[in-house]
Amino acid sequence: MTSNTAFQAQVYQSLPETERSEAIVNRISKAISLGLLKVGERLPRETVLSEMFGVAPSTLREALSELRDQGIVATRRGRSGGTFIVKQPFTSDEVIRTWFQDRSIAEIRDMGDEHAAIAAATVRLACERAEPHEFVRLTELARGVVMTDKPELQARADSRFHIELAVLAQSPRLTNAEIRMQAETVQALWSNVSLTRDPEQVAAEHLALARAIANDAPEDAQRLVLEHIRHDVHHLVDAKLSLGYPMYQQERP
Amino acid sequence: MTTDNPAAKAAAEVAAWMNSVSKDVYKFAESAGALWTNRSSPLKVTPKDIAALETMSKDFLGKHTTAIGAGVIFSVEAIENPGGILEWWTSRAQGIEKLEFDLTPGGERFYDYQNMPFFASARNTGKQSMWGPYLDYLGLDEYILTHTAPIQLAGTFIGVAGYDIRIRKLEELFMPALRAIPGDAALLNENRSVVVGNSGAYLVGERLRTIPDDKQLIPVDAPHLGLSLLTSQ
Repeated sequence: MTSNTAFQAQVYQSLPETERSEAIVNRISKAISLGLLKVGERLPRETVLSEMFGVAPSTLREALSELRDQGIVATRRGRSGGTFIVKQPFTSDEVIRTWFQDRSIAEIRDMGDEHAAIAAATVRLACERAEPHEFVRLTELARGVVMTDKPELQARADSRFHIELAVLAQSPRLTNAEIRMQAETVQALWSNVSLTRDPEQVAAEHLALARAIANDAPEDAQRLVLEHIRHDVHHLVDAKLSLGYPMYQQERP
Repeated sequence: MTTDNPAAKAAAEVAAWMNSVSKDVYKFAESAGALWTNRSSPLKVTPKDIAALETMSKDFLGKHTTAIGAGVIFSVEAIENPGGILEWWTSRAQGIEKLEFDLTPGGERFYDYQNMPFFASARNTGKQSMWGPYLDYLGLDEYILTHTAPIQLAGTFIGVAGYDIRIRKLEELFMPALRAIPGDAALLNENRSVVVGNSGAYLVGERLRTIPDDKQLIPVDAPHLGLSLLTSQ
């Protein structure tokens, strides 16, 4: 049996709605993009998976077959067989475009609001609880977004830094919340279907934040993280608007 | 040590518990190191060695049911095959299960163990050490404390052996003794962060920047673990 850590277990939680097969595909793809599941890892057995997701075996098979078609997983027979993750999922431009179209500016602002609430508390706690040896690693992760020019890797590096802040806050719940926030927005943030986010600026903001935490300056850390998230929200809104309103344009004669 | 002072009693109780596990942690490290006696350096970690380490971890977890993980971590410099660096098992409902770690720097789930204090400190001091509370993200994903002892081979540091314990388990273990102390009291780690507090006044993870005027620190007599007890004067 494949082992599941507490945060991975969240990936396999029972689903709330219909279109479950698609939701399973999404959840597994996002978990891989965030680095919660990694390439080479074996998924739990089909019976176990369908039980964890709370879906019929046929629904699960449909999802796995979709993941296979996308080349994200491969199934091998035999004693050491099973379904393995074989590649980083690539969120298609089409999916990202739809994401932008389906979200109103109010919704994007609201995601930012929730993220800001979580992040403000997280960085204050990180100041209080982080230990000195952890600063080096945080600084390294802060620079992650400039180490690559591939959008999916920039997205992963960005989310990894934010998750690390919650880890330093020593709160499993805030870590879960941060993972959920990242899964929702980080790919749209780094996609190049519209305006692109400037990695240098993001790295500079991450580094300033890491320094504030190392200096045990909770007021600065909170101010910096709120500014940083506001920049993310501005970027998402601008990116959405620059895509225009294709849906509305279609409706007009 | 006999005393009627509840704080001194609590400190003694924590020390007694720690020291009894310490013995087995040192023993674990010693038997792990003994696997490589008279073998060539850099060390090879063979499947047979891993099986032996698994048995040791299983025995440790069987004896100390409060622990949730146990195993060994080797220093990269000491061993030849990078695959055998982090051999750690966790207890499951039935038996034990090996934990998989990503040890490639820059990897998707890179687990940066060489920078972890329980590793560095055991290497630098040659003594047992303790680290926590910490959230073991990409490891057990649990809020834990890790207690390790160095593995020495002919006087050279080659790694550590140890175990993980959940913070909530420490809470169960030490709360009765801490609750017997009048006023707010807390067990602190080496960096003066709270491990267990006897009230809402000192919450786990909180670091005490200064010791309040009306409080004092009583050392917990468990060598090199850096634990102390914060109580009223």
